[in-house]
Amino acid sequence: MADDLEQKLAALGDEDYARGLAAFRAGLKEAEVSFLNACVRCGLCADSCHYHRAEPELENVPARKLDHITAVFKGHFTAIGKLAPGLVGAKRMDRDMARAWVDAVFGRCSLCGRCSINCTIGIPMPALFRAARRALGVMGLVPADLQASVDNSLRHGNNMAIARDEWVETVAWIEEELQAETGDPEARIPLDQQGARCLFTVNPREAKFFPLSLQASAKVFWAAGEDWTLASDAGWDLTNYALFTCEDDQAAAIVKHLTEAMNRLGCQVLVIGECGHGYQSARWMGPEWLKQAFPFPVVSILELMDGYLETGRIQVDPAKNPQPVTLHDPCNLVRHGGIVEPQRRVLRRSVQNLVEMAPHGIENYCCGGGGGQLAMGRYRNRRLKAGRMKAEQIRATGAKVVAAPCHNCIDQLGELNKEYQLKVQIKTVAELVAAALLTKPIEVQS
Amino acid sequence: MSSPLAMPVIAASIWALLGLILLRARARSYGSRVLYAAPKGDPAAGVRYAFTGAMAPDAKESVREHLPSYLLGLLYHGGIFAALALLVTTLGDSAWPSLLRGPLQILLGFGALAGLGLLGKRLWLRELRGLSHPDDFVANGLATAFVGLALTGPTDAWLLSALLLLVYVPLGKLRHCVFFFMARGHLGAFFGRRGVFPTEGHHGR
Repeated sequence: MADDLEQKLAALGDEDYARGLAAFRAGLKEAEVSFLNACVRCGLCADSCHYHRAEPELENVPARKLDHITAVFKGHFTAIGKLAPGLVGAKRMDRDMARAWVDAVFGRCSLCGRCSINCTIGIPMPALFRAARRALGVMGLVPADLQASVDNSLRHGNNMAIARDEWVETVAWIEEELQAETGDPEARIPLDQQGARCLFTVNPREAKFFPLSLQASAKVFWAAGEDWTLASDAGWDLTNYALFTCEDDQAAAIVKHLTEAMNRLGCQVLVIGECGHGYQSARWMGPEWLKQAFPFPVVSILELMDGYLETGRIQVDPAKNPQPVTLHDPCNLVRHGGIVEPQRRVLRRSVQNLVEMAPHGIENYCCGGGGGQLAMGRYRNRRLKAGRMKAEQIRATGAKVVAAPCHNCIDQLGELNKEYQLKVQIKTVAELVAAALLTKPIEVQS
Repeated sequence: MSSPLAMPVIAASIWALLGLILLRARARSYGSRVLYAAPKGDPAAGVRYAFTGAMAPDAKESVREHLPSYLLGLLYHGGIFAALALLVTTLGDSAWPSLLRGPLQILLGFGALAGLGLLGKRLWLRELRGLSHPDDFVANGLATAFVGLALTGPTDAWLLSALLLLVYVPLGKLRHCVFFFMARGHLGAFFGRRGVFPTEGHHGR
């Protein structure tokens, strides 16, 4: 893989650098230029980064990663950088800088944004790392396995290239399981139901590897009497890995699957399943990529479940989840998404003992799987090392179950579970709610 | 002010001011981003929080874990602003009320020591040294000299340090005196819009 990168770097010519710089420049607005001018290199951001906590070395300091970007900005776009590059650390974009950029923004960053809130100045570094990733994309330097996920979404309508028939059959099979579980032959997982209130979207990993997760969400909808549907064609997959390659045109094309499904099916609310980057992509970035406000609300299933519980539309018995549970805060959902409390309210009602990690909420540590890291095999060892902070947090809670409202995080946490011998179960929030549901009238009355 | 350096210092002040205005205008010329996603929170509340609560030790792990550096930073900046205030009054031929002279001297003294402390830290810690450019040492040296020499009163040496500092302001990292406010404002608006700032005590430690 490293050789593959070296081959790509060796093939770069002046035109490639120029195209990369043009893309970088095009991604900068007043905010980003302010950030690029603001870093004082105090180094206090260092320990906010899980990479640096796991491996305290210079290249893992967020300010150092940023400095690689700033150096090129100064070298090409500022007068002082051109006049006195040695004084201010300005550099020209060349093969070495391109290598440094790839290593910094793909290899040592999950775009979690923890450094943003801990920065002395207040520099949201992921915004700048995204600009760099975009430039690297134009130069053909996005890791091939990460790009493959994007290509799958563009070609097949979902990032795992699941064929329509396979998806429809899987849904039918899960529906049978749901009917068996609830004892209700009318329990349904609707597909393409015209005019349904909610269009529910899922991570393709649920269809492939975690059918119980989809079944749990369906059970909650069933218990709530929700009017919902899945789409059978493009528009059921909530993922958008172009959030990580940062190629906005491709991101726009992928998020369009969702808006077109909303239009096609005439739904009123776009519901994003438990997925951090999927939520940020649809809720916050989607309208920016498509350059239009969505005519419908985009909500997380966590918000829906919170509402169901608040209004009494579903009822739960926390005694059905007696083991201590801790909650993982996916960065894209919490720090970048603003969904902080709904999942906590839901779990406080649904489990007997919720033990918070320290720190949690917007100060959470990234599990290490964000920013496309799970899709980049080249950096697997670093990813697992960087997950050490999360593993230690989990262990310190003494919890037996980790609730993780994000399928990418679940994958990473699963690997951390083995790597660090955590001996925990990892579940979605919906799985815990579904387990605690009071579904029979007698139970509800009691 | 009778020193022959008075006019050059005034000219350097104008240079610094114009330089910063130009830098800000240059940044603004990149244009602002039109946002389409429906806001969840209030960007203005986010900005207010970014400049207040979000900077407190309670809200920032990087401060909580590095309180000595945080305090040195506060003292250093306090000293710089005190020295600047002294420069303005000196150039305007006015004097500080006697009641304030003592606290001013204390602030300048601690400010200079803090500047030296931060310089020492930058030199001593290998990681921080690796992170640094000559700009970092020049900026710190000039600002620390300006604060420290202010203790000697309106001498030519102090005015010379002021002149050099002001000339350097728009050239290196000292430009953060403008970009700090711009960056933090954007940070606050971003997180405010997304309903993350102001936080509601969900940090938990």
